[in-house]
Amino acid sequence: MPEPTNNMMMEENDQASLGFWGEAWQRFRRRRLAMLALCFVVFMCLMAMFAPLIVGTKPIVCKYKGNIYFPCLGYYNRSWENPIFRKDRFRNRYPKNLKTKDPESWAFFPLVYQDPYRRVRDGEWEDRPGNPSGTDGSPSRLNWFGTNQQGYDVFAQMVHGTQIALSVGFVSMGIAGVIGLTIGALAGYLGGWVDVLLSRVIELVMCIPSLVLILALVAMLDDVTNFHLMAIVGCTSWTGIARLARAEFLKLKQMEFITAARAMGASRWRIMFRHVLRNSLAPVLVPITFGIAAAILIESGLSYLGFGASPPNPSWGTLLKSGRSTIQQTWWLIVFPGVAIFLTVLAYNLIGEGLQEATDPRLRQDSH
Amino acid sequence: MEEQSFKGVSSVLLASLVVLLIGCSSSTEEKVLLPEASAGEDLKAEAAPSGPVVLGNMVEPFDSPSLEELTASHAWVDRTVADSMQRMRAHQAKLSAPELSAKEALALRNDSSENNAKILDALGRLAPVDGAGVNFEAEITLLAEGDLKSTNPLLLSSVVEFDYSGLTGFGLFGFDWTLEKYASADTVISWQTSEDRLVDKIIMRDDLTWSDGTPITAHDVAFTFRAIMTDQVIVPAIRQGMDKIRWVEAYDDKTIVFFHKEALSTNDVNMSFSIIPQHIYEKTIPEDPTLARSADHTRYEDAPVVGGPYMLTKRVRGQEFVLERREEYYLHDGERVREKPYFKTVRFKVIEDRNTALLALKSGDLDSLILIAEQWNGQTGDDDFYRHNMKASGLEWTSFHFCWNTKTPYFSDKRVRQAMSYAVDYDEMLNTILYGVYQPNRGTFHPTSRMFPKDGPEPYQQDLDQAEELLDEAGWDDSDGDGIRDKMIDGQLVPFEFTLMVVNFEDRIKIVTLMKESLDSIGIVCHVKPTEFTVLTEMQRNHKFQAAFAGWGSGADPDSTSNIFVTEAGRNYGGYSNSRVDDLFEQARREFDEDKRYELYGEIHKEMWEDQPYTWLFYRNSFYGFNKRLRGYNFSPRGPFHYGPGFSSFYMPAAAP
Repeated sequence: MPEPTNNMMMEENDQASLGFWGEAWQRFRRRRLAMLALCFVVFMCLMAMFAPLIVGTKPIVCKYKGNIYFPCLGYYNRSWENPIFRKDRFRNRYPKNLKTKDPESWAFFPLVYQDPYRRVRDGEWEDRPGNPSGTDGSPSRLNWFGTNQQGYDVFAQMVHGTQIALSVGFVSMGIAGVIGLTIGALAGYLGGWVDVLLSRVIELVMCIPSLVLILALVAMLDDVTNFHLMAIVGCTSWTGIARLARAEFLKLKQMEFITAARAMGASRWRIMFRHVLRNSLAPVLVPITFGIAAAILIESGLSYLGFGASPPNPSWGTLLKSGRSTIQQTWWLIVFPGVAIFLTVLAYNLIGEGLQEATDPRLRQDSH
Repeated sequence: MEEQSFKGVSSVLLASLVVLLIGCSSSTEEKVLLPEASAGEDLKAEAAPSGPVVLGNMVEPFDSPSLEELTASHAWVDRTVADSMQRMRAHQAKLSAPELSAKEALALRNDSSENNAKILDALGRLAPVDGAGVNFEAEITLLAEGDLKSTNPLLLSSVVEFDYSGLTGFGLFGFDWTLEKYASADTVISWQTSEDRLVDKIIMRDDLTWSDGTPITAHDVAFTFRAIMTDQVIVPAIRQGMDKIRWVEAYDDKTIVFFHKEALSTNDVNMSFSIIPQHIYEKTIPEDPTLARSADHTRYEDAPVVGGPYMLTKRVRGQEFVLERREEYYLHDGERVREKPYFKTVRFKVIEDRNTALLALKSGDLDSLILIAEQWNGQTGDDDFYRHNMKASGLEWTSFHFCWNTKTPYFSDKRVRQAMSYAVDYDEMLNTILYGVYQPNRGTFHPTSRMFPKDGPEPYQQDLDQAEELLDEAGWDDSDGDGIRDKMIDGQLVPFEFTLMVVNFEDRIKIVTLMKESLDSIGIVCHVKPTEFTVLTEMQRNHKFQAAFAGWGSGADPDSTSNIFVTEAGRNYGGYSNSRVDDLFEQARREFDEDKRYELYGEIHKEMWEDQPYTWLFYRNSFYGFNKRLRGYNFSPRGPFHYGPGFSSFYMPAAAP
């Protein structure tokens, strides 16, 4: 009866171990809240990436004087908007200028014709009134989330602000992750005087208050961008990650599989980054996720206090700030960005918590 | 009171002294413009040389003639000595009776200029001479936008100290709501100027006392002059203006004579400074010329000896300070010799945040508050506001502008500056951001002032085509096709990319951001840089900026503008230089025929409008919220407080609603 035996063996092969990450993902998937949070973050990422296609006053694509252009790229980088439109004195008013300067032209505009950096004026789009200003800009058909006191559309600022919120989190924690893991790995794996030295460096950096650094930088630079803030947050918030990574490396380097790798002649760097690092990533991901949430809060807080990126800076914190002075009249300036910040930070925290429970055997609900 | 951040120059200092008088019925004048900004500091202490202190060592020795010789050797012209309250009463007596009673006016809503006029007409009337119906026991609570840093009039540096000094200080001169100057009848008996305008002789009253009971005499005035003109005494400003005074001589307790170096129409302004008590400071200054470090000076800092209508009785740093009426200010030997100040107590509460201050006004914790356009239009229209308060506005000569640093490659060319002025979206700025409550700007002198030329310029209108053509003409075109204008300067292609600085107030950042939007559409990259007020001033003073948004209040004399536009002048931040403007200012200073003098200022106005060293944006009016119990408020080109009578005319009726 060789066949059944073979079949059984094949079945066993099919159900081969999923590996650490596979198992973690499976466990993570079972947590509905964490999955919901993940979907929310993915949705926000998509919104951030395609913000100029969703809201904007520059066409996504247009044909002008025989050529095809993508003026909406100007939202990503000023120089990506073809200079022909400046030369032809469009002055950021596309709908009418396209028609008058080239009757043959056509254009696809974003879903919502609004701009995060300026007020849409009367008659920019045929028969369409300009945005209301002052405290009159309550949510309406043309301004879904209302307008701020200057008449900037809140929805447009929220959508474009997503780019800031998400990039602040990812970039700063990306920087922190790289620094933290490298330093932690070196300290934990090499040990000895390297460990002593790096541990002191970690302690030193922990003493630097990032807020003070940011304020100093804002005072020094003429044009403060969100990337400056991200860099500082990243460069000062890696210490927790480094400490965790160091502990993981200390623990893992004693394990048998490392000894085995060493016996097989693997180089020190190969062991560190191929074998130990992969296995120490899980616990490190958790502080990174929480760090993203914290970075978003820092950025919003700074913008709220007026120390954020140079204006016009369509960040959620800026919106909250503008709502503060007229809080009794303009609830929409508080509620929408407030909810967005709350949900995003909550989502990251839920993901972090889910990750923690999915990767830490002691916290597994099914571990008993 | 934002515009009062009284900065400037040492002259200011004096000036500040001067200002002391707001509280008494005379108000003193300033020699410099008040920069319009927050309650920050602008006055910079100068480094003091070391060595023994010699009072008045900055003044050349002067052999003053005897009083008899002096009187005989000159022909004298009598000058005006006036009581600002009487002037205001006489002015109001000529008006017809108010259309509404105070009660009816308080029932109105200030939502139109007609209602504003009615409200001011009814509530701005002064109390009768005998003070009938005034609640002399009343307390008024005013806003301090920052902490009171020093109570020494020589160390004034911010609007709060300026306000404090206005109520407690002592000075000789004042000016009314038309900015006409006079010697204050509260302190002066007579004022004569020699025909050659080189000497001023003033007889002071003999019923004046310091708060410690010592009489105030002419010697205090002469001493103050010498103290200020001592290089080791750290006054937070340069001594401009006072350097035009040759000597100040006290011939006896009452007679003070000012000798001037030249016959200038600005001499009157140079003489007005507030006065410190000689009997205190002649002992303490030699020990401690910093005025702040010695034990004595520390003691006087918290219990200052003052000569004005109010004195400090309580000071909680960072929270509040309280002034009480000095009975001996208006009583002399038991007789009333001056008008009794209307409030028993004046309390200043330190509130730095504008929204918090507005909430305090609404709840009745503040009695008066300056409002920004957004508040005037937004949060002050509901029952919540009108329950305790009324609001009123008046014309003010406070002007806002973009200052271009003409020493940078961007703005050295007049055509570029004109292009900038054409680029501003005035309509959006005035009607959307500023709620349509401010006036378009027509240059450095206000159109309602006598300095404004007859055929004065009309405000710029946005014309982006014109702006682009001027920029092309000036060589700023987009030669490399990257969408940003550039120009070859010294072999390098310089893109038109600059930083526009602004105080970090939200309404101002909005205006600057609007400019960025306009410039972006004509191929210029403008970075908006909000910053602290002190930092902004520092950068401007050192010319380390490319462009800045700022404002100036009005000085009492048009010559105060020279400090801003004359080549190399102290506050010519933008480095503007036009020899014709320099000459005209000099001529105006020596012109005594008023009409001709104002014509010269009109010429200056037109010359500068052509050059556009600033892009003049708008004039800000005065907007104030007042508690309904307050009466007697009127507006001057310098707001409701800082002129004669100003604060002195405010009162609360005995039977308040």
